Formats: sequence, C-alpha cells, structure tokens
Amino acid sequence: MTGIPMKRRTLLSGALAAAALAAGPAAAQTVELEFPTWQAEEPGPADFWNEAVKAFEASHPGVKINKYQIPFKDYIDRTTVRFASKRPPDIVQLPTRNFAAFAQQGWLMPLDELMAGTDIKQAYIPLQQEMVWEGKTQGVLLMAYGMVFFYNEKMLADASVSVPKTPDDLLKAIKATTNSAAGTFGWGATTSEHPNIFVDWSAWATGLGASLFTKAGQYNLTDPKTVAAIDSFRQAVKSAPKGTSTETARQLFVDGKIAMMRDGPWVAALIAKAPDAVRPHLKVGTMPFPVVAGGTSNSIHIPVGLDPARQKLVWEFITMISRPDWQARYFKLVKAPSPRKDVASDAEVAKDPMLSLAMNAAGKAENLFPTAAAAQLGYAQIAKLVGEAGIRLVNTETPTETVLKALQDELSRRVPIK
Amino acid sequence: MQQQERRFAFALLLPALVTTGLLIVYPMYLVISLSLREGKSMNFLDSTGQVFGLQHYADVLSDPGTWTSVVTTLVYTAGSMLPSFLMGLALALLLNTTFPGRRLFRGLILLPWAVPGVLVSVLFLWLLDASYGVVNAMLRQAGLISTDIAWFTDERTALAAVIAPTIWKSFPFFTLTILAALQAVPGELYEAARMDGAGRWQRFRYVTWPGVRGAAVLALVLNTLWAFREFDIIFATTGGGPYRATETLGIRAYQEAFSYFEIGRACVLGIVMLAIALVVVLAARRPLQKEFF
Repeated sequence: MTGIPMKRRTLLSGALAAAALAAGPAAAQTVELEFPTWQAEEPGPADFWNEAVKAFEASHPGVKINKYQIPFKDYIDRTTVRFASKRPPDIVQLPTRNFAAFAQQGWLMPLDELMAGTDIKQAYIPLQQEMVWEGKTQGVLLMAYGMVFFYNEKMLADASVSVPKTPDDLLKAIKATTNSAAGTFGWGATTSEHPNIFVDWSAWATGLGASLFTKAGQYNLTDPKTVAAIDSFRQAVKSAPKGTSTETARQLFVDGKIAMMRDGPWVAALIAKAPDAVRPHLKVGTMPFPVVAGGTSNSIHIPVGLDPARQKLVWEFITMISRPDWQARYFKLVKAPSPRKDVASDAEVAKDPMLSLAMNAAGKAENLFPTAAAAQLGYAQIAKLVGEAGIRLVNTETPTETVLKALQDELSRRVPIK
Repeated sequence: MQQQERRFAFALLLPALVTTGLLIVYPMYLVISLSLREGKSMNFLDSTGQVFGLQHYADVLSDPGTWTSVVTTLVYTAGSMLPSFLMGLALALLLNTTFPGRRLFRGLILLPWAVPGVLVSVLFLWLLDASYGVVNAMLRQAGLISTDIAWFTDERTALAAVIAPTIWKSFPFFTLTILAALQAVPGELYEAARMDGAGRWQRFRYVTWPGVRGAAVLALVLNTLWAFREFDIIFATTGGGPYRATETLGIRAYQEAFSYFEIGRACVLGIVMLAIALVVVLAARRPLQKEFF
C-alpha cells in the first residue's frame, strides 16, 4: 500500500479487517429450516410438533427449525403464493385436500427413491396411496380420521335433553340448549367465510347419506337428498354463534358456551385445557348420524428445488416422525389415529376411551372430500365459493334450494369438472 | 457555465428519478404487461408462452362482478369520507375554542390515526361481535333489537360495519388539518363580523369556511384517494365477504391474484382503479389550483 496517504491506509486496513471478521467461521453458521403450519398453536398437534422439533434440533447440532403459525383460513393462499414466487418453505405441510393442486404444478419432490430406504410403504395404512400423483409418491401422510361428536353433558341436562342418538334428536337438542340472549348456543360451527364451511356441509351431508358430489365426481348440489341434508344443516347452524371461525367455535365449546359440535378427534386435546368448572362436563361420543364422515387430514412434503443439504435434513425430519415411537407419541398427543399400522396394540387402545373412539371412527369413515381429479385440483376455489354460499345460509332467509342452485352454477362456471 | 449548472441539477435529481423509476414506473410497466398476457399462469415471475391480447380486459369489463365492486368501492369511499369530514370539521371547531383539558384532547384525538389498520379491525371485530359484542349488548339493553345482528357476516350490514372503523381512523386527519388552518384565521375578522351583527352561521360561512376551505379540500382529496385504495381494514374484518358485500376493487384484485391466481385479471382491475383515481384527481385539480396556485 505504498504511495497511499497514512489516513486512507488506516481506513482501508480497518475495512479489510471488518470484512474478514464478517466472512468469519462459516462452519459455525446455523442452518434454519422454515416450517410454517396451521397447527403451531393447536393443543395436541402443537405439543407433538414442539417435541419433534426439540428432539430433531438436539440430534442435529447447528440445525434449527423455525416453526410458526399461519391461520388455517389463509394457509393455502399464502403457501401457494410462496411456491408461485419460487420461495417455498423448507418443510411443507399441506391439508391433503389441497395436495393434488400442488402436485399438479410440479412443486413437490417425488419421494419414492428416498422412501425405499424406510418402511413407510409397508408400515403405513393404504390411505398413504393418496399421496401418489401421476405414479409418483410426493408426500407422507400425517393423519386420517373420522368425525366425532363433542358435547357438554351439563348443558344437555340443564335443558332436560338426553345425548342425541339420531339426527332428529340432535336438531331438537340443539334448539333446546340455545339461549343466545344468555350467550349459550346449541351447536358449534363455522359461521364466517372460511374454507372449513365445505367440511361442515360435506360432513353433515355425508353423515345423512347424501353427497356434494356424484359418484362420477360431478357437482351434486341440486339433488333433492343433498338439498334436504343442507337444509337440515341450516337448522343446526342457525343456533350457532354468528361470525365465528372454526377455531373460535372450538374455544367457545371448551369455555362452556356451546353445547355440541362435530369435529376431528384432535379437539380432545383442547378439552384438556378447558377451565376446571367446565372440563368434567365435556364428553366425546359418536356422531348421531347413520354414516361417519371423515377422510385424510394432512401430510408432509419436500418442495422441489431445495438444495441437497437442506433436502437431506428435511427428509431426516420426516423419517424421524414416521418412526413407530414418534407415531405412537403422535397418536397419544393428538388423539387421532396414526397412519402407521403398528403403532398401538388393541389392548393399549382399549385402555384409552378417546383413542378407542378415534380408531373406531377412522375405521368406519366415509370420505367427505371430492375424489375426482378435477375437483381435487380446484379444491381451494371450490371451498372458497362454498364458504361464500355458506354465509348466505346462515344470515339470510333465501331458500336453501336457491342458494345451492346459484352455487352450483357458479362452481360450474369457475371450476368446471370435465 | 449554464451547461455545468444543468448537469449538476440533473445529477442531484438522478437519485430521485432512479427511485421513481424503480418503485413506480417499473411496477406500472409490469402491471400493464401482465394485463395484456392472455391465459393463466401460476408462475408469477415467468410469463413466457403467454400471448399478448385483450382477453383479460374483455373478461373483467364484461363481468357484472367488476361493476358491483366499482359501486361498492364508491359507496364505501363516500360513506366513510363524508362522515369523517363532518366529524373532523366539528371537532376542529370545538378544539379551536378554549376549554379545560383542551391540550389533552388535542393529543387524544390523534390516537385513532396512529393505530394500525389491522388493530382497528380487531377492535371493531370485538365491539361488533354478533354474540358477545358490546354494541349488540347495548342495543339489546336499550330495547332497539331483539336478536343479535351479525354486523360483519350479514350482507345487509357488512358494508356499514367496515365503514365504521374507517371513519374512526380517518377523522383525526381532517381534525388536524382543519384545526391548523383555523389557527391561521385572524381573530379580528370574527370580532368585526360580530360587530356587524353576523350570527354564528354567517360567521362560519363568511369567515371560518373561506379560511379553512383550501386545507379542507386538500384533506378531502387525499383521504378520498386513501379510502379508495383501502385494504387492511376490509381484509382483516370481512375479507371482502360476506358473499362479496364488501368486495371493493382493491379486495377483488387481491382475490383474483392470490385466491384464483388470475394475475392478468388482477392487473386489469388495478388499471381500472388507476383510471378512477385519475378521474378524481382531475376533478379535484381545479378547486386545488384555485386554493393553492
């Protein structure tokens, strides 16, 4: 550095030293895997994920999993935008109903080669096949379930009604336990625009032996049986608190403000956190419908284009949680059947009434989600349009048949099923 | 020498020109370009293979939903700006008088404006909650309603329900702007008017209003443009529902882009918004020129 004035030499040296320090020991950098999920704050699933993340980080020094909450209502839109702008998260969890749309875009990494080194294909239930798209396995199933019935036996007793055993009993009990002036409601359901309105409708219709789709996979909303089923659902939902999301409805049930609701078995974990005065009265049973509705819930995936080192870590995380010990933990914490066949013995299941009920419901469940490829691909848009129509049923007196006809027309226009 | 001065002036302007180019001109170019690319692509960053054409314009402009959104936007903008303006004017007149605690009130008035839109939405979601909100409780107690009103989820009340928090958030700006202009009105004018026998209304009409008119018009134009493109309050409360009752053009553009992945259609809606905003600005040009230039 000869010929350069002294002050400038000092400055240059300082800048070089600072740059060298900043470049520093690259090996000490932490690898952070991004893991957005709608379950980060849901008792049961959140407990499982917290344990899994902690264990994985402990066994992989220098690796951190950044797990964070995205509300379910916004989850698919936000995740789709991430993928569409080529910035997917590292660990991808998806509601299985939306899997087809992501797989179709070529956004998910085929896992057959990686799975060859594990026992997942042999040890998992046949529903794992739903993770196959165009001949390639593109995800690992996390949960399959049947709907169960949650009720507050004290609220039923106070209204002098017994636990309903038939759909008619249920409607009578809902009416009897509703006192909106006192802030108590007979039924808990989603009554604000939310993609889960599709689940509410379909679970109720499927439970009564009707269906929102024909066997050929076409829209079936104007079928008289479907209209009658949705009309019956409308009677129930008129007695639900208005403007609530699925999460709010669950919280109100746990707070003793809602007498009955239908939901997945994982809500039992939320009951454990109910106030002391309410918890003893909250019970779980079988839905009083001829058919148990259910389906696959969610799955875990690796996005295409992830760098090999991160891809390896994500697969190691997935392999870890797929092991029998972790799946047994999943079963215990989430109270939902594990997709592994060998997780719990009959004796262990029989010891826990909730696990027994969940297994029984999952075993009998009829799929409430569409099976035709075109409907699966357009599921997000279908759920959105059903959500809009659902609000009309709750807040207006427009005849059910009129609402369903308008919805079917709009669905046929915006999401045609060919 | 003149040449050197010009070059120097240009050099000083260059950072601003580059920033404007990057933040305004380039995004505008992208919006126009994407609006002219026919077809649908899930890849926001790559539109190769999509031919140029006017199909998106035909689809959007012939969709009755677009015009419903235009009407909703105009009703929302007018419905929130007029009450905000009147409230702001009334409060400014009040705060221009002397009363105990005036300084404290002047500070408190600014609070709604400082609160982020999303927090305002959360506040009003609770106030107007159908089952547990304090507004319904008060209306029931007063015997004005017998069943709870689902303010944000009933098509008949949702637009009014999103206008309410917008008014609450907007009026402080009017208050502040008009109050500042009021302070500049000489007190002698009021004295002279009183001595000439002018009543309260006449003093307002011939002394106060001419003094604050410029600031009021400017505040109205700015707030109207902000309300026109309002997004966070509506998105956080209703998301454009129920059944599109609160789907303004901004919300509709968002839904087209991020729920239906119709980027071309979303861009066309953006251009429609720009066209309407331009009409407002051109309409306001004369009154603003009269007051300020």
